[in-house]
Amino acid sequence: MITPLKALRKNRFKTALIFMSMTVSIAAIFLISAISGGVVSMYSAMLKTDGDIIVTQKGIADTFFSDINRSQMGSIAKIEGVKEVSALILGAAPVESLPIVGIYGVSENRFKSYTLTQGLSPKMGEVMLGSKIYETLKHPKSIFISKKKFGVSGVFKSKIGFEDGGVVINLEDGGVLFHKSASIFLITLSDLGKSDSLIKKINTLLPEGEAKTTDSFIDSYNQFKIIKTSSDVIGAMAFLMGILGIVSMMSMVVNDRKGEFGIMRSIGLSSRTIIVKLLSETLIIAVLAFAVAWGVSEGVLELIEHADKFQGYINGEIPFSLLCNVFVVSVTMALLGTLLPAIYAARIDPMSLIQRGGA
Amino acid sequence: MNIIGSALEHYYGQEHILRGIDIEIKAGSFTAIIGESGSGKTTLLSILSTLLNPTIGSVQFDGKTISELGNIDTFRRHNIGFVFQFHYLISYLTLRENVALAALDENLINPLLAELGIDSLAKRYSDEVSGGERQRAAIARALINRPKVVFADEPTGNLDSKNALGVYELFKRFSAEGTGFVVASHDKKLAEYADTIIEMEDGIVKSIYQR
Repeated sequence: MITPLKALRKNRFKTALIFMSMTVSIAAIFLISAISGGVVSMYSAMLKTDGDIIVTQKGIADTFFSDINRSQMGSIAKIEGVKEVSALILGAAPVESLPIVGIYGVSENRFKSYTLTQGLSPKMGEVMLGSKIYETLKHPKSIFISKKKFGVSGVFKSKIGFEDGGVVINLEDGGVLFHKSASIFLITLSDLGKSDSLIKKINTLLPEGEAKTTDSFIDSYNQFKIIKTSSDVIGAMAFLMGILGIVSMMSMVVNDRKGEFGIMRSIGLSSRTIIVKLLSETLIIAVLAFAVAWGVSEGVLELIEHADKFQGYINGEIPFSLLCNVFVVSVTMALLGTLLPAIYAARIDPMSLIQRGGA
Repeated sequence: MNIIGSALEHYYGQEHILRGIDIEIKAGSFTAIIGESGSGKTTLLSILSTLLNPTIGSVQFDGKTISELGNIDTFRRHNIGFVFQFHYLISYLTLRENVALAALDENLINPLLAELGIDSLAKRYSDEVSGGERQRAAIARALINRPKVVFADEPTGNLDSKNALGVYELFKRFSAEGTGFVVASHDKKLAEYADTIIEMEDGIVKSIYQR
């Protein structure tokens, strides 16, 4: 342990470059994964609130385009095993000076899902603001959504960034604003074990709609797949860039230290010993870079979360599973990036190493 | 360990460095290879010490060719020590750590450093001690595994005459205890300490003298 640390100290400049290269790559992986994961988990949490089954328009790619007839809510509510049905209109529109804000038209029975911090639930012509947008708009008494004026009836607090930075209105007002009846129905069941048979009944009742368990909807939701794929691709690019950075820097390190490795070979240390030595050096850097990248990423996510510019919509989180995955990725990056230069160093004839330079 | 080199020839590119050398190094002997720069001393030393494969010819150690020795790194670590003109100590390690890098048994390090008179410098780095002390540390690294033979290439090339004689005295002392030494140098004083003197010129052995 001491020898690799001393070697790293001796080659401070290149060690610092490898460290920075790895830190940037790991932080990029952390951030893209945390932000995309945050978007997915926020939207999933919103759908899961009071929703064991979700009903959308059949064959629609995005809930924002979905339009189902809200008059069917009553028929669904009568099905045995259904505890409650609520309807949502999901839309986005300019609010005051903000160019785009999430607008949620909800049926009255869903108002209880929002924790009011002041005022009351909205009546017709009124809105309830998330605490974030309430602060951003500096405590307005009324607001314009598109060109329509609404009074502010109350303020609610939500851990879901999309909601906390958004506006809640009556389902009817939402229908007028977005020219649709409802985007989705959220159905809670009295017995989750009967969800399959209930889904069949709902699909029979609503031939233009498509019912799924909320979990299966989230798993198959196209937008989440796009977000996840984009995040994976960017993460993979950051990983590859990290490896390339390590390979190029370690090649320079190996070139500088050929004499040292030549001495090691001449005194009988094996090629494997030299490879392990170089790998252990980069592993130390990888662990440090991982820790720093984690800290930096948490800081950046905190800044983004509280930046007015993002209205609380970008709400990344680094769960333990992501932490473990990125640690494995960091170690793999260090090992893969070092392996080629290390093998190259270990294969060069010791005599030619000695002739090329001192230690 | 008896070392026999047969019909050794070596090229660096088009340059013909060794031109057919037959040589025998007897176990425990102190052999001096002397000659001017470019005579092929270092190349011959490198071939005899397994660091370099000859273009033509073969080397045997106690009757075994290199391919019959098994893992060459292991063979080298247990049987051969090296001392170079430039001490080649690793600069970020202390003198003791440099010796420890090669050591199979770390318990032998302190007594050896004491024997070579550098035990008080064990925790110093190579740039904190004199040239003679550095070379003593390099000799300690070469001797730490009690090798059968130590190869030294211009070991006094960077030392003043007093320190150079000190190095030869050390070699002579350890040679008397049974360690073989093969030393290449253009320093004629080396011949005074050696049992066998091999004179090289233009890639061939010009003369062999045995006491």
